[in-house]
Amino acid sequence: MSLAAGLFIAEAAFAAAPHESTYAPRPAPATLIQGVAVLTGAGERLERADVLMQGGRIAALAAGGGLDRQPEAPPVRVIDGAGKWLTPGIIDVHSHLGVYPSPEVASTADGNELTDPNSAGVWAEHSVWPQDPQFGLALAGGVTSLHILPGSGNLFGGRGVTLKNVPSRTMQGMKFPGAPQSLKMACGENPKRIYGEKERAPSTRMGNVAGYRAAWAAAAAYRDKQRKFKAGEADEEPERDLALDTLATVLDGEILVQIHCYRADEMAVMLDIAREFGYAVTAFHHAVESYKIADLLAEAGVCSAMWSDWWGFKLEAFDAIPQNVALVDAAGACAIVHSDSAEGIQRLNQEAAKAMAAGRRMGMSISDAQAIAWITSKAAKALGIAEETGSIEEGKAADLVLWDRHPFSVYAHAEKVWVDGHLLYDRQDPTRQPVSDFDLGQTVAGEGR
Amino acid sequence: MNLARRFFGFVLQERRGASGMPANPKPGRSLVSARLLPVLLSALSALSWADLAIVGGRVYTLESPEPLEGATILVANGRIEAVGADLPAPFAYRRIDATGKIVTPGLIESYSHLGLREIDLEASTDDAALLEYPLGPAFDVSYALNPASARVAVSRMEGVTRALAFPVAGVDPLAGLAAAVRLGGEFLLAPQAALVGYLDAAATDLVGGSRAAALQRLSTAFADAARFSPSRYRPGPGDYSRQDMAALKRFLSSGKPLVLAVDRAAEIRRAIDLAADYDLPLVILGGAEAWRVREALADAAAALVVRVHDNLPRSFDALGARLDNAALLHEAGVSLVFTGAGTHSAASLRQTAGNAVAHGLPWHSALAGLTRRAAEIWGMEDVGLIRPGAHADLVIWSGDPLEVTTWAEQVVIGGELMPMSSRQTQLYERYRDPSKPYGYR
Repeated sequence: MSLAAGLFIAEAAFAAAPHESTYAPRPAPATLIQGVAVLTGAGERLERADVLMQGGRIAALAAGGGLDRQPEAPPVRVIDGAGKWLTPGIIDVHSHLGVYPSPEVASTADGNELTDPNSAGVWAEHSVWPQDPQFGLALAGGVTSLHILPGSGNLFGGRGVTLKNVPSRTMQGMKFPGAPQSLKMACGENPKRIYGEKERAPSTRMGNVAGYRAAWAAAAAYRDKQRKFKAGEADEEPERDLALDTLATVLDGEILVQIHCYRADEMAVMLDIAREFGYAVTAFHHAVESYKIADLLAEAGVCSAMWSDWWGFKLEAFDAIPQNVALVDAAGACAIVHSDSAEGIQRLNQEAAKAMAAGRRMGMSISDAQAIAWITSKAAKALGIAEETGSIEEGKAADLVLWDRHPFSVYAHAEKVWVDGHLLYDRQDPTRQPVSDFDLGQTVAGEGR
Repeated sequence: MNLARRFFGFVLQERRGASGMPANPKPGRSLVSARLLPVLLSALSALSWADLAIVGGRVYTLESPEPLEGATILVANGRIEAVGADLPAPFAYRRIDATGKIVTPGLIESYSHLGLREIDLEASTDDAALLEYPLGPAFDVSYALNPASARVAVSRMEGVTRALAFPVAGVDPLAGLAAAVRLGGEFLLAPQAALVGYLDAAATDLVGGSRAAALQRLSTAFADAARFSPSRYRPGPGDYSRQDMAALKRFLSSGKPLVLAVDRAAEIRRAIDLAADYDLPLVILGGAEAWRVREALADAAAALVVRVHDNLPRSFDALGARLDNAALLHEAGVSLVFTGAGTHSAASLRQTAGNAVAHGLPWHSALAGLTRRAAEIWGMEDVGLIRPGAHADLVIWSGDPLEVTTWAEQVVIGGELMPMSSRQTQLYERYRDPSKPYGYR
């Protein structure tokens, strides 16, 4: 598909449905990386491979090398990958870039609608400030896709959005085409503290659960009324309610459920609630105690999005251990390393490395090929975009990072970052390093952050 | 704090309130130490009192950038007795094989709340911030230090053997006196190791909302303290108490460093002037824009506790924040030491130093910032280097200590082998094998 045709379709879709993505892939000249070590994200490590990008996709992957320049036009750009490492573009499943941007001041704090414990009607994308300079810093760390969530002060925080990490004047220009939205829910300390201090429900964990259940019951009834009206069994259409719209869409299976939940026992309760009302939990986030119920999570098919070593900053994080990720992975459950931090998102490769090393320290056997999946393919799975990105396989989007050494070294830099085959960041070329409007006049060209 | 603050910013704002006054009074706090005491006792019981011969490692002595390969370190009576490539290990010494490993001095975290804050968001476990009682520079956190903190063993597992425990600004920008602690043996090394003032936007709010007022309060207090006499001092409303002035006067002649948490280049210059007026050793904490005034910092012989990962323009004080701050300061001749990213950040201490290297700081200077340089800045004698007579605080690493895939295999403090376990390793052991009956030690 030509760029012009792509734009046309995107604009047509925009006209048809509000809030649609207007992202358009940028020019993606054919590029061949030769002799590079590859962590595919799909579980493999290849030593001297050739990777060809064409039309924004991964056109060919040859494990032993030997891919020649393609004879046909357009000409292929050839990159010598000797001594370098190629990984899929990194994906952060838990970010607040754009909704809690830098500078972090009252006028930019748009991540938590703390006026009602159920704010399922709000969408994080409507708070995203595309000029947040943090996006460019995350790109320099190899992050090509990220999921922006509302904060965790509410039982239902609202809808999350998956973005491509591309410079854009509008949020819509960053939206990952076709990626499902998420519903952010939150367990534990935050909602009960926020609303307890306001002397309203919930002020306890049981109050939290009553809040979830009441909302799901209302959503089921709302959905039922809508169905009856559509089927001609009822005369009146139920009055539009944005919060119930979100929850009903979850019940229809079109929105993924992402739950902020630290404690294992609370995760088990959240799974019960999901069973009671007939929806699936996609992932528990900040799941510092997943290691305690890794078998249950594997059985339920629920992902855990975890930090490598954050612990103790609140009581529900007191039992966090650095082997959490390794233990969850070893149990056959879906393990993801996330950041929840504008600093951490710049070095998710190091966070995955720490989680791997913590397991190895205890004698667990974990390969780098396995660990890279925690920030690539497993993350893509939890966002519903694994068909499109998250691994280096023929036919997938050419979202790639070329590292100047093994990405699990603290000294590694993302040297080049491609999104849909377009070279979006080049560490060697200051003209290929996105600068937000905000940073103009604050930083010196060529020096960066 | 930054990490947690991103996410829990609303909580912290609520705690302090717009006026800087606390939202909650602090409940009693003896409960935690009582409960954790047994954990402490078992964790701190030394494995061996024998003299040690650590044999075969690559030893970074910090006396020179080049390591000693395959060297032997002899440890007796808590101190290093000898170090060298061809030393025989006496028969009576307990032999520790470090072949293929790297040995360094124990790491020093130059800014922490170790022993003061168990859980950030549980006010009852937090003695770092003074929220109500009107004590300024006299606030001496050493009285509250809790050696039974679960964080001690967790930090030690990451190779941290000493740390500075700092108060944070609660009621006054001049927050109080930090303590130096050791993570094995006697916890408190030195009370009143430094005086800390916070000049960031949040601390400025404590004195009416202008940076000018915060700086004036500091300079006036120093001037008054220099000529302070208890019998003649008549504090008015808002003035420092007699106790504060006495503490300040003592500090001015102590030779201890003045630590000022400040990010914006303009205020860093003011900080340099203030320290120079009273001939105080100056340590800048944070200093996101310090690279912009690096020559002035070097001229003033100031040091910097660098937050390496802090490259976000997170406030209007830090618009110039960048990842190579450490490298630029080092080139200009400013001494650098390190802190991790947050309260519970033991693992990130080494990682931040590693990232400073990734962004241009020479490797050996980064290691020095974690060891010898930190000891010098915080007035710890015979610490942070491996030479005869130095305290035997050592770490045997599985590889490059600045790498994220490396771990501490053995920590030695004061010549004693530390247990390589923590509450976290106990949780790991409990859950690593789900087939074990649940609920018993």
